[in-house]
Amino acid sequence: MEDDDRVFKALADPTRRLLLDTLLAHPGASLTELESAVAAEGVTMTRFGVMKHLKVLTEAGLVVTRRDGRRTLHHLNPVPVQLVHDRWITRFTEGPAQVLADLKHTLEDQP
Amino acid sequence: MSSTPDDAAPAPLVPPVTTTQVYQVVIRATPQAVWDALVDPEQTRRYFHRALIEVVGDRIVSHRPDGALWTDGAILELDAPHRLVHEWRSLYDPVSAQEPASRVTWQIDDRGDGTVLLTAVHDHLDGSPHTASSVSGIGWTTVLSGLKTLLETGEPLVP
Repeated sequence: MEDDDRVFKALADPTRRLLLDTLLAHPGASLTELESAVAAEGVTMTRFGVMKHLKVLTEAGLVVTRRDGRRTLHHLNPVPVQLVHDRWITRFTEGPAQVLADLKHTLEDQP
Repeated sequence: MSSTPDDAAPAPLVPPVTTTQVYQVVIRATPQAVWDALVDPEQTRRYFHRALIEVVGDRIVSHRPDGALWTDGAILELDAPHRLVHEWRSLYDPVSAQEPASRVTWQIDDRGDGTVLLTAVHDHLDGSPHTASSVSGIGWTTVLSGLKTLLETGEPLVP
């Protein structure tokens, strides 16, 4: 699977987006803390279910884990989303930017 | 007052702080190429917010294109081309410049398939909230995505 496919597939699920929102607000959350966050939103899910979603997010590069003693800490990694942005948005803006640059030259070159 | 008995209370979430920020990207390049890109001002200016970054003795310093000192920090660990740990002090902003030095760790892991996993961890930010918020999110993500684009295409995202 392509990297972009993994990112879009991972984002195409409300529970996984909830997990990412939780990690944005609470960097370094543990599995237990993420379980609580999901439950607090009224989503019924087993610990194994949360782990499965975290695995999809990790494989897409959207979640990075670190060890702190016996605890595994989870962090949101926003770089894959930035790459998606770069691919479609940054390149898209090059055209209009060039039009404006050309217009500037045209106007300034007028006598 | 809480109506929830302690034994039934959910585990409290960690406080909403960004004292440890983790950024990661896979780059199709050799570890040496990634390392060189981190410490070569001719390359850093093309992806690191135009900053010219270089190792000077036991420090890593960066300048803006106009020559102003941008960041300056002691190198804490250097194991080319795998690991670089250094202090971070944002001198580009008067409030951040007054905060204690934080720490940036670069880890370059060879994935054995022609790609490397580059991880940047910015931590020790507990006493530097202004620095933490100024570098978080788009500050670091554009650096890592820009570095990937530069190494894989030879062209910077922003000319």
